[in-house]
Amino acid sequence: MRITCPWCGERDHQEFTYRGDAAAKRPAMSDESIEAHQAYVYDRENPDGAHRELWNHTGGCRKHLVVTRNTLTHQITLCEPIGPWAKRLKAAAK
Amino acid sequence: MVNTPDKVSPLADLAMPNRPAGRQPQVELSERLCDSLVQVQAWPGTMAKVHKAISDVTGTRPAKGHAAALKGPVCIMPAGPGRYLIEDETENLEIRLRAAIGAHLGAVTGLTHGRVVVAIRGEKAAWVLASGIAINFDPSAFPVGDVRLTHHHDIGVTIHRTAEDAFDLYVFTSFARGFWHWISTAAEEVGYSVG
Ligand SMILES: [Zn+2]
Repeated sequence: MRITCPWCGERDHQEFTYRGDAAAKRPAMSDESIEAHQAYVYDRENPDGAHRELWNHTGGCRKHLVVTRNTLTHQITLCEPIGPWAKRLKAAAK
Repeated sequence: MVNTPDKVSPLADLAMPNRPAGRQPQVELSERLCDSLVQVQAWPGTMAKVHKAISDVTGTRPAKGHAAALKGPVCIMPAGPGRYLIEDETENLEIRLRAAIGAHLGAVTGLTHGRVVVAIRGEKAAWVLASGIAINFDPSAFPVGDVRLTHHHDIGVTIHRTAEDAFDLYVFTSFARGFWHWISTAAEEVGYSVG
């Protein structure tokens, strides 16, 4: 499996660290509902097919990406930069 | 480059054979300690000011893309968006960069004692590296002067291609012995000398 980092280019997935489901949204810290925090930490969809997930390029630029990966075939269709450097990462990918 | 006496090489007491018997060496391995190696990280909105500060201190600006900027003994290597690894012969580079780049502009981290440079040169240099580092070493994909951040068996390494057949590898000081063991073993197949 190879992941194309917008900054570093195409690399082996072993350079990256899996950081989980990109759809999981942390509830506000003021939200006192145990259920909402429980769901954020543990509940995942486990879909077959396209899955948007966070990966960190630990062995390269150390930036986070949202990778769209097919959970059945491991085919990667999209690697999107996120965070405050996303604009520069997008420009670097061109 | 002059190495200061207080810096002790992690490879100092390793036996470094000149070359395996019976083979004409096709690569030369050597080790270098940096006089100054400093990482600078700009904040997302301060890149232009950090570039100016780096230029004021070192006399040169970071280059575009993945190329290192070289001027005299100064080498500015890109290490991610807004992040640079800067090497210089002067001992006080960190102090001067810290004075020019306050916390409002970015983060300055001294890495002089944290990295060792292992250099490999020779016709088979890229071939030896490719046996353990999974990036494309073809000059069309990794041109002379470019820098790559990658892994070697889960250990980070920053690679500066200084010529078509020469690379400077910045490795963690604490992993330098393991790295040397790997690269010298990998180079045995083509024969190596120690410079
Ligand atoms: Zn990267």
